[in-house]
Amino acid sequence: MKHEQTAPSAAALPSKPRNLFPVWLAALLTLLWLIVHDLEISFETLAYGVADMGEYFSRYRKPDFSELSGYLDLMKVTLATALWGTVFALVVAVILAPLAARNLAPYPLAYRAARELLNFMRAMPDLLLALIFVAALGLGPLPGALALGVHTAGFLGKFFAESLERVDAGVYEGVTSTGANFLQIVMYAGWPSIQREALSYVLYIMDRNVRMASVLGLVGAGGIGMALHDALRMFNYGQSAALIIVLLITILIIDYASAWLRRRFR
Amino acid sequence: MAIISIKSATKRFPNGFEAIKGISADIAAGSFTVILGPSGAGKSTLLRLMNGLETPTGGTVHITGETLGKANLRKTRSHVGMVFQQFNLVERLSVVTNVLTGRLAHRSWLGSLFYLFRNEDMEIAQEALARVGLTDKAWSRADKLSGGQQQRVGIARALAQRPKVILADEPVASLDPVSSEEIMMLLREICDRDGITVVVNLHQVDLAKRFADRIIGMNSGRVVFDGTPAELSPLALQTIYKRDEIEDDTNLDLALAYA
Repeated sequence: MKHEQTAPSAAALPSKPRNLFPVWLAALLTLLWLIVHDLEISFETLAYGVADMGEYFSRYRKPDFSELSGYLDLMKVTLATALWGTVFALVVAVILAPLAARNLAPYPLAYRAARELLNFMRAMPDLLLALIFVAALGLGPLPGALALGVHTAGFLGKFFAESLERVDAGVYEGVTSTGANFLQIVMYAGWPSIQREALSYVLYIMDRNVRMASVLGLVGAGGIGMALHDALRMFNYGQSAALIIVLLITILIIDYASAWLRRRFR
Repeated sequence: MAIISIKSATKRFPNGFEAIKGISADIAAGSFTVILGPSGAGKSTLLRLMNGLETPTGGTVHITGETLGKANLRKTRSHVGMVFQQFNLVERLSVVTNVLTGRLAHRSWLGSLFYLFRNEDMEIAQEALARVGLTDKAWSRADKLSGGQQQRVGIARALAQRPKVILADEPVASLDPVSSEEIMMLLREICDRDGITVVVNLHQVDLAKRFADRIIGMNSGRVVFDGTPAELSPLALQTIYKRDEIEDDTNLDLALAYA
């Protein structure tokens, strides 16, 4: 049926723009279902497994804190590894990020090079890097710190670059119009404008590095992870439980500390 | 003597829009010029050509006798202060640091890396802040100030450059009438007392008439009027505010009502 416009009271709105969200959602759900189907993931196995898992976890009931001071020393090594990794990442990211920000990069070639370098660092898994560095530098926290540093420099650099790209063009123009050079624009318009975001990113990377540093112990990069690895291999569930609790509490403390820092930095 | 000289400049943006369709103009040293015109007339683009924030597609721009090009871009900018509609301050830096950015062209990259300035720069910044009446706000963060105050910081930053020219792109478009008046008086006073050449983009006819030595009227990328405020007749205003697509324009009546 055809609608006749009889009264000239209100002009018809232009036709509504099409919203494709339901189509995308349906496509995503289909994809997920296909993946489950294709990998033959069975939810029945999961149900049977829960009972076994319960039995396994019950072995950790009695944490053994008899060597707590030793555990705390190991935790310190892990924390130091994470901290040095984060500092290394920060230094590399601060140098590369302004070059990897499209609106700041002085030359297109520098932009491409910085961007690809960050992509490369991010793409190298830190576990793999740690294996390589352990092979090259021997056991201990140094290869762990380097591995974390290289991998997270890629992340931090990308986060910083994207924040720098989001800064209002006018802020850069204000400083550019005084005759400032690239470095001065970065120092006076770039970093001050993103300092809060940047702090959040650094704290997140620190948190992540503490968790990862304990895993890196598994490949010989020292710290609490190495002790946990040994305890698990010897089926010493009491010690393992104690080590896991030390790790959990440390991560909780770091989480609260970074929340406090972020609040102070408004 | 012309301090800025634009020679048959054109500007076409990558999207094909031609903002400036061949403009030649000389700006006399020490004068107060207002560029008047409707939005989209190319006022901003013309002003940005004079600071190298845009490069002309055709023609040339000369500042103090030098042709603006890649090689002398930063040096030229250091003589040409710029004031923006949105102030364009670095909001998280203190007022005095924002003013000190006006000195960056004279500082080494190493000093800039550590946020170091010389005493002489500090004195210049102090003087500029006193000039705009914001000495007591020196250590406040820039985003804590009102719009009018932020624009005064913008002017202080331009003054700290010890410029020969100040370009102001719609400096009062985001401000209330009282602050607008203050800012325009400040710019006029800077022109009169320091002999700094001032070029201001405006869309308020009344402000243009009251403050300018010379008014350049623009419409769709061309200069359609060039004369003193006294010469700005209702007919001239009609040519400035004429729109191609709509013959009988209510905005035109509005603009004329202001005049």
